[in-house]
Amino acid sequence: MAVEPVLTIEDLRTYFYSRSKRAFIRSVDGVGLQVRRGETLGIVGESGSGKSVTALSVIGLIDAEPGVITGRVGFRVNGTEWSLLPSIGDHVSLAEEDGRIVEVVKDNRGWRRKVDRLMHGVRGREISMIFQNPRVSLNPFVTIGSQVAESVLLNTGIRNRREAAEKARYWLEQVRMDSPGLRFAQYPGDLSGGMCQRAMIAMALSSEPSLLIADEPTTGLDSTIQSKIVELLDDLKKAVGVTTVLISHDINVVARLSDSVAVMYGGTVLEYGPADRVLSPDFLPKHPYVEALLESIPSERHIKDGLLPRAIEGEVLDTVNAPRGCRFFDRCHRITNGIEEKCRDLEPDLAEISAGHQMRCWLHIG
Amino acid sequence: MSKAILDVKDLKKHYSRSRGLVSALRGRDVVIPAIDGISFYIRENETMGLVGESGCGKTTVGRSIMGLTPITSGQVLFDGEDLSVLPPSRFLPYRRQMQMIFQDLDAALNPKMRVRSILREAVTVFDRPGNEGVDRRIRELLDQVNLKESKLTSFPHELSGGEKRRVGIARALAVGARFLVADEPTSALDVSIQAQIVNLLVDLQRDLGLSYLFISHDLRIVELISHKVAVMYLGKIVEMGLAGSIANRPLHPYTRMLWSSMVDGRSLEGSPSPGGRGTWGSLDFERPQAGCRFASRCPVYRDRGRPAVCTDPSTEPELLDVGRARKVACHFPLQ
Ligand SMILES: Nc1ncnc2c1ncn2[C@@H]1O[C@H](COP(=O)(O)OP(=O)(O)OP(=O)(O)O)[C@@H](O)[C@H]1O
Ligand SMILES: Nc1ncnc2c1ncn2[C@@H]1O[C@H](COP(=O)(O)OP(=O)(O)OP(=O)(O)O)[C@@H](O)[C@H]1O
Ligand code: SF4
Ligand code: SF4
Ligand SMILES: [Mg+2]
Ligand SMILES: [Mg+2]
Repeated sequence: MAVEPVLTIEDLRTYFYSRSKRAFIRSVDGVGLQVRRGETLGIVGESGSGKSVTALSVIGLIDAEPGVITGRVGFRVNGTEWSLLPSIGDHVSLAEEDGRIVEVVKDNRGWRRKVDRLMHGVRGREISMIFQNPRVSLNPFVTIGSQVAESVLLNTGIRNRREAAEKARYWLEQVRMDSPGLRFAQYPGDLSGGMCQRAMIAMALSSEPSLLIADEPTTGLDSTIQSKIVELLDDLKKAVGVTTVLISHDINVVARLSDSVAVMYGGTVLEYGPADRVLSPDFLPKHPYVEALLESIPSERHIKDGLLPRAIEGEVLDTVNAPRGCRFFDRCHRITNGIEEKCRDLEPDLAEISAGHQMRCWLHIG
Repeated sequence: MSKAILDVKDLKKHYSRSRGLVSALRGRDVVIPAIDGISFYIRENETMGLVGESGCGKTTVGRSIMGLTPITSGQVLFDGEDLSVLPPSRFLPYRRQMQMIFQDLDAALNPKMRVRSILREAVTVFDRPGNEGVDRRIRELLDQVNLKESKLTSFPHELSGGEKRRVGIARALAVGARFLVADEPTSALDVSIQAQIVNLLVDLQRDLGLSYLFISHDLRIVELISHKVAVMYLGKIVEMGLAGSIANRPLHPYTRMLWSSMVDGRSLEGSPSPGGRGTWGSLDFERPQAGCRFASRCPVYRDRGRPAVCTDPSTEPELLDVGRARKVACHFPLQ
């Protein structure tokens, strides 16, 4: 039985235009993903690979002025379907010179208005997001308790202030905020880094969304609370069936919570499939990048031998000058003589290697 | 044996919660003893790891050392000089010897400055190597933190989380300080770049003799990079010792709890399920405990039938030397 997808992303491309470089920064470059009801999709990948930009594109929070977003984002809940990405064509014009784009003009206001209209009643209510940097998303002049209570009033059936405050306290306890009564009346600036993060998680959960996008929800949290938050997310998934997109550098957390996993690199998806296959070092075949990624996790062995974990050699990809062929080419250790030319000159497709498991590598296709 | 570069003596930092006159008049002020009397020293060429649950006071320790927040009492000696009593003019030269990698990604990055200007400013704190020298140094830094040169023209809001983190690290390193407070320097970084940053810090220490206060919730990395480790609970150090022995043979029940709770399941098998329901992972400033602050969550306290000595206000456990460079604050240390 196929459960209908809550979120469908098709060929998403989010480019920022840099005036000083006169070029596009192709942060997200053709990403397609699906999340079914009650499922958790994990997104992992190197810093700068486009994870946050993908998430921000979905909820219409990309603000770079002369940027370009194309593709399709479909969101479906209780039989209602939204198309969350307005067509940008009416709002940008490109000036070209010898086939090179030299100027991008965007009617940002008009586009913003359209996005905001589309997002009305969706962002914050149906879809809520845990942001990577909690401080920027909390209002520094409003106490933690009031902020969460406000979100409860705005987004749930609760209309009574006292009830909302009670609910807010409930969420602060759920995210293991210590001394919740004390924290309730504190301002974000008076909280430690990890507390801010928990306040934000409480805020995101308090609207009881259909889709939760969690961008690095557990970094900056210590292991005790980290495992509590992981449990909480797990509970919510099992009990309420919250659909989640989980972005994290912590492979262990992703492995524990996700049903499927997408591995991003340089704005594209390199491997996409069931979590237990993609993230298990023993499951073959593996994408060369994913293999290297899994090897760089510090393990028991490192600690015992006093070894530092090995970094993936080479530099991170520059999304301004993406290579013609495979984006991992410069750092790949698995290129064979037979495919070297193809690796260098031709970008492989994200192809199905077995049911529900896709890979973008010449070793495993054709 | 090299000398201490930093010596912290009985440091206290208390915040009071109230913001308004009204609650002060009603006597509703809650004092948060974010740091409640801690002492430690760090030698040249040494790394001390500082661990403990969120909110236990780690960042406050770092900020107090850096002089970024006035301390309530105690001493911070840098190169033997008490910084807290120095006038600003004499404080500055010392302040430049110390840098901090901030936990908050945006804290050290001026939103109106491009990455290039942020780094140039840091590189020229001590000397003025000329434009060419500055550019060379900036390129070297970018290379060390694995950041693309194309990011030099970006503003902080145009960077990803991990890119901001790396600019913050490069900025702290650029000054050429001898002592670095690294507050969660590897958070927001993927494992591969984490490894690179950790290796970089180790290399710089070996080559330049830097000293670090390394704050992190990632106990694996702390264990790998630190020579010694201090474990904090509610504003106090409850255990201190060599990194390997803290991790493998904890004496304080809290230390064991901390290390056995790593998400990846590298738990110390057979240890009693720590904490008990409800109290797990929560510090409580609203109802501070008499005696040992950890008692309400302590499995040893529970298993020993709640000995009075643990909760008697007159016998709060002190951090005592137990030999082999180890200190622990507990009446019934684990064996
Ligand atoms: N407003 C912007 N203008 C220009 N470039 C941007 C902008 N926002 C993001 N980028 C670039 O797009 C790329 C992808 O960024 P994104 O934030 O999605 O990375 P990420 O995968 O979330 O990385 P991290 O793990 O470090 O958070 C980065 O190289 C970043 O510098
Ligand atoms: N400006 C402030 N005003 C009032 N209380 C504060 C202030 N700054 C910190 N605190 C309190 O001091 C305590 C310690 O905070 P600190 O930031 O040092 O914790 P931490 O150990 O760094 O935690 P985390 O791991 O979450 O970063 C917390 O209870 C916090 O709420
Ligand atoms: S396509 Fe070629 S370069 Fe790319 S990952 Fe596969 S083997 Fe390596
Ligand atoms: S002093 Fe008592 S309560 Fe405190 S940690 Fe030791 S055994 Fe536990
Ligand atoms: Mg990100
Ligand atoms: Mg902190």
